[in-house]
Order: sequence, then C-alpha cells, then structure tokens
Amino acid sequence: MNQPAIMKKSNKSASYYAWVGVFFLSLAILIGALYYSTIKIDYVWRWYRIPQYFAFKEKIDIKSQVTGRISEISYQKGEALIVVKTDGEDKTYAVPEGDIKVSEGEYVNHGYVLAFYEKWKPGILIQGLWLTIEVSIISTLLGILIGLIGGLARLSSNPAFKWASITYIEIIRGSPLLVQIFIWYFVLGTLINTILDKYGISPIPPLWYGVAALACFTGAYVAEIVRAGIQSIHRGQVEASRSLGMTYAQSMRYVILPQALRRILPPLAGQFISLIKDSSLLGIIAIRELSKATREIVTTSLQPFELWFVCALLYLVLTFTLSMFVQYLERRTAV
Amino acid sequence: MIEVQNIYKTFLVPHRVEALVNVSCKVEAGAVVVVIGPSGSGKSTLLRCLNHLETADSGKIIIEGIDTLDPKTNINKLRAEVGMVFQSFNLFPHKSVLENITLAQKVVRKRTKKESLEKAFSLLNKVGIKDKANVYPDQLSGGQQQRVAIARALAMDPKIMLFDEPTSALDPEMIGEVLDVMKNLAREGMTMVVVTHEMGFAKEVADRVIFMDMGAIVEEGTPEHFFTNPENQRTKLFLSQIL
Repeated sequence: MNQPAIMKKSNKSASYYAWVGVFFLSLAILIGALYYSTIKIDYVWRWYRIPQYFAFKEKIDIKSQVTGRISEISYQKGEALIVVKTDGEDKTYAVPEGDIKVSEGEYVNHGYVLAFYEKWKPGILIQGLWLTIEVSIISTLLGILIGLIGGLARLSSNPAFKWASITYIEIIRGSPLLVQIFIWYFVLGTLINTILDKYGISPIPPLWYGVAALACFTGAYVAEIVRAGIQSIHRGQVEASRSLGMTYAQSMRYVILPQALRRILPPLAGQFISLIKDSSLLGIIAIRELSKATREIVTTSLQPFELWFVCALLYLVLTFTLSMFVQYLERRTAV
Repeated sequence: MIEVQNIYKTFLVPHRVEALVNVSCKVEAGAVVVVIGPSGSGKSTLLRCLNHLETADSGKIIIEGIDTLDPKTNINKLRAEVGMVFQSFNLFPHKSVLENITLAQKVVRKRTKKESLEKAFSLLNKVGIKDKANVYPDQLSGGQQQRVAIARALAMDPKIMLFDEPTSALDPEMIGEVLDVMKNLAREGMTMVVVTHEMGFAKEVADRVIFMDMGAIVEEGTPEHFFTNPENQRTKLFLSQIL
C-alpha cells in the first residue's frame, strides 16, 4: 500500500507508452493466431450455444391422470384452473401462465396433455459451479480446523502430538492429491461403506470422501502456515501474556493467534485458491463439479473450445472473488 | 517475600552455559532489591526464574511461602501475583492501551468489564498517561509504552514486581519518566526486584544491591556500602567501569 515515492511519480516517457502498446499488440496477435488456427482446421465457433448450459427453459407438460370431460376452464391471478369431470371425483389442475391445449367440453384420456408451461432451470455448468463452491467452502472450513489443530500440535512439546502432526504433514505433502483422492474413495470409502452396509446403514456418498480428501490435503499446508505464523510472533508476546498469569490456551487465543492470523492471511488465501482449483480433480470419483460438468457437455455438444474457456473463466471468477475478499480482510485487520 | 536457595540453571541450547551457579538470596516484603552486573552474568536469568519464564534446574524458590519449583504448584496463579516488566515492553500490538491493561484482569482475575476499566484508568492516571487510553502501542513513545507495561503488570494487583532492565531500550530523555514511576512504586512499599544499569536509581531507592558475575552472587549489601566501600575485587572493577 505504501508505494515508494519514486513509483508514484507518473512522468511516463514516450518509450513507456510504446511498450504498453507492445503488450497489447502481443495479446492481440496471440488471440488472433489462436482464432486463425481454429478457422484453419474448420472449427466453427458457436458461442450462442453456451448460455443454455447456464440456464435453460424447461417445458413442463401437465397431463391428465384421469379419463373424463373438461367441464370448466377458469382464470384467476395469472393461473388457469382446468376441471376434469369424471364418473367418480372431479380433478382440478392448476396451470401457471402457459399454453392450454384443450378447450371446454373436450374429452380427454388418461395421459392426455392438458397444458404446458416453461420454467427456468439452472444449467449443468451452474450446477457444477455450485457444487465446486459448496465443496470448496466445506473443505476450506474443515481445512482451517485441521490446520489449526495440526499447527498447534506441531509446536507442542508433547511427542505424541508433535510426531502425529509431523507424520500427517509429511505424508500428505509428500503424495499427489490425485492418489489421495483415490485412497479416500476406493480404499477408505470401500472399507467404510462396506462396514456401514453390514450394519444396515446407507453408504456415504462419494462427495464426502472428496471433501475429506481435499480438507485433509489443505489442512496439512494450513498447519505449516499456522506454525510459521505462530513462530513469527515475537517470543516476548508469549512471555508477557504468561507472566500476567494467562494459561497457554488463553495466551494463544487472546494474544498470539490474533496476531498470527493477520500475518498468515496472504499465504492462507493462496492455499484456498489452490483448493478451489484442486477441487477439479474430484471429477474422477464421479462428483460432478465444474470441470466434470464441462467434460460432460463437451462430449454431447462438441464445442470444446468455447466450453473449456468458459470453464476456466468461471474458476477465475471464483478465485478472484476469494482473493478480493481476503484483501478486504487484510485491510480491515491491519493495525 | 522471596527466598531463593541454592538454585542452578544451565542452558544447553545453543551451547552449554552455566547461567546460575548456586545462587541464594532473600527479598523481604516491601524491600527494593537492585541486581547489577555485567551482561551474561545471569541477572536476567535469576529474575526470569522467579516467575518461571525459566525453570531452575535445582534448588528452591519460595515466594510468599509457596515452593514454586514443586510440580504441584499452579504456576499461572503464582505468576498473577508476580508482575513482570520487560526490557522490550512486550505490549500487545493488536490491542489498545486500555485493552492491554484490561485483558489479563478479565481472563485471569475474572473481573467484570467495569471493574477492570476502573482499575485501568486509575493506573493510567498513576503512570501519567490517561489521555492515551485508546491509542495503540505503536503510537506511543518508548517511555510511554514502558509505563503502560508497568500499568498492565500492576493491574493484576501483584505482591511482587520484577523489572528486567526496564530502561535499557529507551532513549535517554525517556528514562526519567519510567524511573519516576518505579520510584513512586517503591515508596508505596511494593516488593521489587530490579535488574538495571541505572546506578542512580540503585543509590536512591534500593534497600539492597546484589552484584552478580559468571552466574553467581559476588557481593551483596546496602547501596552505601556498595558504592562507597565495595569489598570484592570484581565489584570494584565493574563499578569503576560504569561510574
């Protein structure tokens, strides 16, 4: 925030603007080259096909469940009521503004379409995006919890806590996330779900194994960030708080952690941005987050270029929003 | 009252240092004891052993009749009775002056917000900076910060106050304001152990001066004895260098 005075001066020379021009020109050339190559291979860009994957109008038919005669069609408050008279009970259907396919006095069979209306529904990309957000938020919260406990245990003088934390951190950081997701789902998942099945309990869906894998993965990195943050606080702070009679826990809660949190916000933000991006791996265990959703539409729509760009853009929106939020927090907590 | 009997303290990290070797001393209630000595002589270690920021390896430290090295002793309770002021102030930078003084009152002494605020204001008045109640430590001068630190320690109503070179990190023109606060405290009858290089302070308010070197107490006596007629060769040498 406090930029050196030399950077604030805006006596830009002509060569400065020339290089700005070079930057934008290069960008344009890059995009142009990409577009030109796609033309060359006869790729047809169909951006107009993309919005339907965000939201689409679903046509919903209202079918008669009985056989009988339409005795009455009345309108009230943007809603139509269709009464079907049968031998037994009369049946009334409510139609929210839409097209009515029958008229009074008409005879309808069972299954006959009386009317239909259209309804906006979230498209598959939005569903995937929402799942990505959901998974990221839950994993982030769990990751913070695991990381906080792991970081404090890492600094403990008790060997049981300390070594448990070191083992956890080293194992998680030393193996690929993809492998960890496989282990969570195919090894632990199989074990847990089989045991649950034996006791007649319904199995845990894959989503939760994915969340567990992401949370544990992030937790290990957060633990190291927390440890570094706590260690960066001057020893005098612990000594001062302890000399006033505070317990270890009170000293952590009121003095050390609030100061450490301020310092670890930037690296934490980086970690959670990574988490959002890493959630794209969950597609391999059949969780339809944003990347998996995109992959599915690509196979049906055959518009991979547009869709993958859109997918990348949606991730960018998420990560950028998080980054802005953390910057806001940093400003708010700055002394 | 503090009774120290034959304590030893050896540091192994980063290398072996015998910081305290068979140290025994006594501080009566209401007494002001000044500890002087060259750097590395163990005076700060002795002070830090008194409230267990360091734990003595062997020997006995009895404070107000409680054996503090007994593992059954509640150290947190003991520390609340023994205030400490540090060379580098160690105020909590994320809390205002007022919050610095009220925090431990609330969480350790379980005082209400009202009680702790009243206490804080009366202490800020006492150390002469009640107009700074709502600022943050980094907006204060060194002398003001140290006076807040003294107020923070006093807020716990300690029976004993330990001062670890309280003026060593201060600009010369700010030393006076901190020493004045300490002198007032001594006059009010607070039991004090002060590690300092301020010989003027020692002469004026100390009941007893302890000279330490190489982890041991070399000489002990009244200020008159000490500054006019020291017996030990090492004491003479030290005093000749600093006076």
